[in-house]
Amino acid sequence: MALPVLVLTTGEPAGVGPELALAVARDWQQLAATVVAVGDPDLLAERARLLGWLVELDVVDLGTRLPVPTDGRLPVWPVSLAKPSMPGRLDPANAGYVLETLDVAIEACRRGTADAMVTAPLHKGAIIEGGHPGFTGHTEYLRDACGVEGVVMMLATERTSKPLRVALATTHLPLSRVAEAITGAGLTRVIRVLATELNQRFGIASPRILVCGLNPHAGEDGHLGREELEVITPVLDRLRNEGLDLVGPLPADTLFTPRHLDQADAVLAMYHDQGLPVLKYAGFGQAANITLGLGMVRTSVDHGTALDFAGTGLADVGSLRVALQVARQMTARAH
Amino acid sequence: MTPSPPRKDASELPVIALAMGDPAGISPELTAKLAADDTVNRAVRLVIIGDRRIFDEGARIAGLSPQLHVVDGRSPLEGLATAPAFLDLANLALEAVDQGQATPAGGEFASANFRRALALANEGQVDAVCFTPFNKKAMRYANPGYDDEIRFVADAIGFDGKAREFNILESVWNARVTSHIPLKDVAAALSPESIVDELTLTHRCLQQAGHDRPRIAVAGLNPHAGDGGSFGMEEIDIIEPAIRRAREQGMDVEGPFPADTVFLRAVKEGFHAVLTMYHDQGQIAMKMMGFDSGVTMLGGLPFPVCTPAHGTAYDIVGRGIADLGASRQALLLASRMAGQARRAGV
Repeated sequence: MALPVLVLTTGEPAGVGPELALAVARDWQQLAATVVAVGDPDLLAERARLLGWLVELDVVDLGTRLPVPTDGRLPVWPVSLAKPSMPGRLDPANAGYVLETLDVAIEACRRGTADAMVTAPLHKGAIIEGGHPGFTGHTEYLRDACGVEGVVMMLATERTSKPLRVALATTHLPLSRVAEAITGAGLTRVIRVLATELNQRFGIASPRILVCGLNPHAGEDGHLGREELEVITPVLDRLRNEGLDLVGPLPADTLFTPRHLDQADAVLAMYHDQGLPVLKYAGFGQAANITLGLGMVRTSVDHGTALDFAGTGLADVGSLRVALQVARQMTARAH
Repeated sequence: MTPSPPRKDASELPVIALAMGDPAGISPELTAKLAADDTVNRAVRLVIIGDRRIFDEGARIAGLSPQLHVVDGRSPLEGLATAPAFLDLANLALEAVDQGQATPAGGEFASANFRRALALANEGQVDAVCFTPFNKKAMRYANPGYDDEIRFVADAIGFDGKAREFNILESVWNARVTSHIPLKDVAAALSPESIVDELTLTHRCLQQAGHDRPRIAVAGLNPHAGDGGSFGMEEIDIIEPAIRRAREQGMDVEGPFPADTVFLRAVKEGFHAVLTMYHDQGQIAMKMMGFDSGVTMLGGLPFPVCTPAHGTAYDIVGRGIADLGASRQALLLASRMAGQARRAGV
């Protein structure tokens, strides 16, 4: 069986993305996949020189057979920078370059040349300044490119007893707007996408999803907020009737304890800061960010461009490794 | 039996009223364990309030028979040199208590003990109040409209000042600006004044607990603390001005920090407390960090009130395995705070 192909976009050229791609290529850690980076080969070669890393770049054409993964070698689908890039120095002139790397990866996944895409961080501000004022982030860009209505953000990490997966019903919204953004239709769609992908991409026959309440103590029967009674519980009841294994709404502060997490294939949090803390606390490894509902597999690192670290070789490659492993795991089911 | 070792200057120790909580859970067992605990008895003079029969039942479950100086509800407390003392209100019909069940009788028992303890503190007969866990349902049976302990205390002693619940782990305290309100109402409930008030109270309580120069980290409200206004303006419009004002008043306060990592930062960077904007912002992190072994303290009242953070643990009642750690920490914190207040002549 041919190895699945993961296409890795190297992101903002002045950030840590290029060197993270080089770092994983120095030691593939027996990743059972072929990885091809998308970026400027000169940039990658120069960054490798700067760091004193011996990584040989195999510049290959789209559609050409990719070499088997070998430590110290990185296959690259070339895209050219508009201007040379220095570590740590953003240049909006390269905004188009960053977007082009995404376009290449999306197209490859669409055509089946690649089985999944993994993204290194880009810099939103630099893209906006570079003449794309409507740009709001990777996820939205991919959503539009894939022509789907809504996607679901999920974070995943390894955990001793069981992998921890946390999906979000809302993402980067001001807290004051979270409650109104939780609608019956929206929540139904999110849960369906989550359950479907856990089943199809992660191979979980009947995924058990724990659902957080929105309010303190999950509203305490309406004493501390009514969204549980009026929105969340009716949605869960309806979807349970369709056969989904849903638990909740549960008080978020007790849900994120091992006793509950051990029973869950995924947790659905209602908002960003409800779901993310658990991924950052002791006992959990590095996390990857996964976009569900695109009709293709996309994972990402869970950190930013770390401009201060660019060119130092000190950036932690852990999250990218997890992102590659999770993408590999998700493609396995499709094969 | 393990008698308490002789204590130095028992009369100098803070006197703490310990109200027995819900009789159907682990409260009786914990109370007996506290009465027999060396560390506790070296730090405080206990006055336990409850019913002797359920205490004895707790002692039997714990496998202990602590020495007590028992007085009845009509006796004066003066001259109780031999601690722990037990103020026997004889107020529980044992047959009305089912282990592991919330009952009106259990709620009435816990309420009466707590009321008496608060009255003693309010009269200056004891320096602080602690209680073993209540059951909220039972408290609601006994006190229709029962909201939380702060409300109960304020009503019981006629207090109309500002008091707040603090959640305390050894490594870090958590105070919050809003608490039991719907999430949709949180943003509108924030103001620079309310935040400065919380910071002031937190600063004062930390000092009372022995932190001479308290450092407080403040959480943002929005994802990534608003990311410079991209995901909400409250950090810029409300929280940052409040932090500036608190600093002008001499408090060591930093933030706003992104809420998903603020507790990690606090522990790593040696902050004594985190001020969160809403309930789950603090509770999720605190529970992950082991808050079930932590302490809840009601600060801002005329005297400290402390209790273990965990509940009545109906699932392990009667087995003698209830962990004393949180209850002991509650007593020791009350002792420190009461001692400080005494020295300060408050």
